[in-house]
Amino acid sequence: MSKSKFSFNFRKITESRLFFPLVALGLILLFDLIAVPGFFRISTREGNLYGNLIDIARNASTVSLLAIGMTLVIATGGVDLSVGAIMAISASVAAILMNPYVLATELPPHIMKFMSDPNFTYQPLWIVILATLIVATICGLWNGLLVAYGKIQCMVATLILMIAGRGIAQLITNGVRIQIFYEPYAFIGQGWIIILPFSLYLVAIVFVLAWLLTRRTAIGMFIESVGTNARSSFFSGIDEKRVKLLAYTFCGFCAGIAGLVASSNIKTSDAFNLGVAKELDAILAVVIGGTMMSGGRFSLLASIVGAWVIQAITTSMYAVGVPAFALQAIKAVVVILVVLLYSEQVRNFVQKISARKEA
Amino acid sequence: MKSRILYGVLLMVLVFGLVGCGKKSAGPACAPNCEYKDMVVGFLQTGSEGGWRAANSASFRETADQLGLTLKFYDSQNDLARQVAGFHQFNQDPDVNVIILAALETTGWEEVLKEAQESGKVVVLEDRRIDASEDMYATYIGSDFAEEGRKAANEMCKLLEGMAGTNVWELVGNVGSSAAKDRGQGFRETMDACGIQVTKSQTANWSITEGKEVTEAWLKETQDVQGIFAQNDEMALGAIEALKEAGLKPGVDVKILSVDATAGAFKAMLAGELNVTVECNPLLAPQVYEAALKALNGETLPKWIPSQEGVFSADMPNLQEIADGRKY
Repeated sequence: MSKSKFSFNFRKITESRLFFPLVALGLILLFDLIAVPGFFRISTREGNLYGNLIDIARNASTVSLLAIGMTLVIATGGVDLSVGAIMAISASVAAILMNPYVLATELPPHIMKFMSDPNFTYQPLWIVILATLIVATICGLWNGLLVAYGKIQCMVATLILMIAGRGIAQLITNGVRIQIFYEPYAFIGQGWIIILPFSLYLVAIVFVLAWLLTRRTAIGMFIESVGTNARSSFFSGIDEKRVKLLAYTFCGFCAGIAGLVASSNIKTSDAFNLGVAKELDAILAVVIGGTMMSGGRFSLLASIVGAWVIQAITTSMYAVGVPAFALQAIKAVVVILVVLLYSEQVRNFVQKISARKEA
Repeated sequence: MKSRILYGVLLMVLVFGLVGCGKKSAGPACAPNCEYKDMVVGFLQTGSEGGWRAANSASFRETADQLGLTLKFYDSQNDLARQVAGFHQFNQDPDVNVIILAALETTGWEEVLKEAQESGKVVVLEDRRIDASEDMYATYIGSDFAEEGRKAANEMCKLLEGMAGTNVWELVGNVGSSAAKDRGQGFRETMDACGIQVTKSQTANWSITEGKEVTEAWLKETQDVQGIFAQNDEMALGAIEALKEAGLKPGVDVKILSVDATAGAFKAMLAGELNVTVECNPLLAPQVYEAALKALNGETLPKWIPSQEGVFSADMPNLQEIADGRKY
């Protein structure tokens, strides 16, 4: 009796969307446990937690934020390649609003001394953040309009902003890398609240927001329905265009927050390098989270775990001391192994084992 | 992006305009008494990639204005095919007498170089070396990356002299790039000579974010580190952030050296967080134009003219002055 109950639970667990990403994360951490002594050591520094695990969660926050938005887009059967570029745009906008003087060639000395003053900002922080997020949201809206109303294929439509966006970001900052000295801004990416990094709270807030939006209203169901079968959802009265527009717009908004976090983490707005190839990490995180690229059912939490998996791989590689030239190749192998967990064959295999236990 | 399109359109207007009017062909007609005003330079830039490249382009534009020579700027947008096409275009342009190339790739230039030779253009390589027979171009002007590494190592040896522990970490640029390879090699050679081992080395792809991430991960393992060598300024800035978060004092507890000497490095040195930066000079235009003029007048040049580069350290008394006077 108790045995069959156990098996029943086992099957239920393996069917959960969170199961595979958690298994992947567990395997990577297990490897660290064996290969890297002291990997799990967590100490406190100035009252904050300090250790590899915290680093993984914190450095994954950029990709986590992107992945939340990307999940909704992929669930509608689309993809957004422009999130990395949107990150660069928002970092540029934020940097310019805080310190527009960096663009001037000649400055009177009384303004010059503000340049590296940690308390100086041209616009108050709330305007900086608000304006940045509005710009990022408009970028998302643009993508949404092209895909939903322009009927342009999502790859092509978002590729436009992926390429042009980095140019726009460079145009905003006049092609220079801007160091950010304003201390309160650095809090977004570097600050701590009650033993945990502030960026983790941000991820949690955006996650709750997205969860409420999709699971406490019918929107989540609409998204899944559009992703599963756009035509039949149209016949059942779901406005496919609006659903897609919403998903892309929200994705842009998330990319804006990610841009704020990434730029404040390094206290620099770097239009050339900020968020390069991050769209691919975000897509990978969503895929590891078990959402199909063809659209349909999705899980936000699983996508965040996916982002942790990616970051755990990177951090482990650094900790193990993989030589620089082998880094990419080994990362690729690990990713292949992780993705293999999702193949139908492997799943059937796991199911078979659980079935055998039942017998 | 917009500006690139603009340049493209401008370039086309220029080329077609000039061809259409059938203006007098300049070229080496003025030799051996050519002056800067006789020079029409076609410059094939790689594309935009960061602060260094931007300063490099600006140097060529500004110096051209100052010297009164004509510059036709061609942005290859990091696309090799585009760059080769641009080279063809300049070869066929009767006005152009000097072609300056910042090559995207080291190989595949024989054909266009031959074409240039046939049409009597002076070819000067800037910043990036290519694999071609030396008589195909006038000269190469650029940094000696290995020397930059050696300079950094010398400074590191000086800074760590007499210290109990000598653990040095290295942040490497893009794996496979000549800058990363040669800087690393030069650094190691000299470090070996003064008996200090590089205990950790990892790529951070020239980026601040990755420089921080890598250093962060290492610091979790051990905080027994006395020196960090970053192959560019950005990675050093990332390492500085990681050290600060770990409660170490960058520049004091851990000596930090970088290469490039950009504005960000000077700010960090003024704050006492960076010890030394070795210059990788992007303002190559004066040297390049001078060499091109000499070549135009028939002078034979050495096949490699190293660019003029200095070493700046945080304990220089006139650091603020130097920082104010710098353009990038």
